[in-house]
Amino acid sequence: MIHSYLYLSIILFCLGIVGVISRRNVFTVFMSIELMLNAANLAFVAFSRVHESMDGHVLAMMVMAVAAAEAALALAVVILLHKHKSKLDTNVFSLLKG
Amino acid sequence: MFADGLFIGFAVLAVLGAVGLVLFRHPMNGAMSFVVTLISLAGLYALLSAKLIFALQLIVYAGAIMSLIVFIIMFLNIQPSDLPQEETKLLYILGGSVVVFPIGLFLAKIVKSLPAHSTEIIGHNFGGVKEVGLLLFRDWLVPFEIVSILLLVSLVGAVILAGKRGTTK
Repeated sequence: MIHSYLYLSIILFCLGIVGVISRRNVFTVFMSIELMLNAANLAFVAFSRVHESMDGHVLAMMVMAVAAAEAALALAVVILLHKHKSKLDTNVFSLLKG
Repeated sequence: MFADGLFIGFAVLAVLGAVGLVLFRHPMNGAMSFVVTLISLAGLYALLSAKLIFALQLIVYAGAIMSLIVFIIMFLNIQPSDLPQEETKLLYILGGSVVVFPIGLFLAKIVKSLPAHSTEIIGHNFGGVKEVGLLLFRDWLVPFEIVSILLLVSLVGAVILAGKRGTTK
């Protein structure tokens, strides 16, 4: 049944949101964002199976490429911040606060 | 049925891995349980007869991206004393669940209104490399080129951000 795949996608997306808003470790927040991207991917592939067209697969590939680019940039920023502050706490990174 | 049993197994593993990612204190443990989620999602893609996405999920996500994250976690050499003190973590998780629950319920109601559809494995090479590649280079050529530019920009940005600087001032 297609519904169970979509329910699973919703559950994973909500877990990702909970991880982003409740944790303060930079790596955990970052991986929760990746979890939300994966939940969206699962919905794309499930709907692609329903309509029996492969556009959803192409979109899932695009999302993977965006996730790879995001991983490279975000980890570069994490290394930079760790060099400056030697902390991994998102509450410490408040450089833009006025 | 065999496919239903596989779906239940993969779904339980995916949810358990995601819960572990949210709950584990050390990011290395979280990354390892997230890899479990990614691999079980690859199994779900195979059940949805998306062959190319199944392979890409294993190679790109579970292979490349997660090994990059694990490499950076090990590179920073995080001791337990470096981790942020999260005494109010459970409180925040509870509050976050209360906030997110209505959204999830709303989405579930939308999904419930969709017509039912079977997810049996279909033939005709659905989701194979050749079919998806033809579609990618016929209908999705412009987004493909834009993604290539995005990857180039993030490559240059990562080198500039994390690379050595200040030698010339």
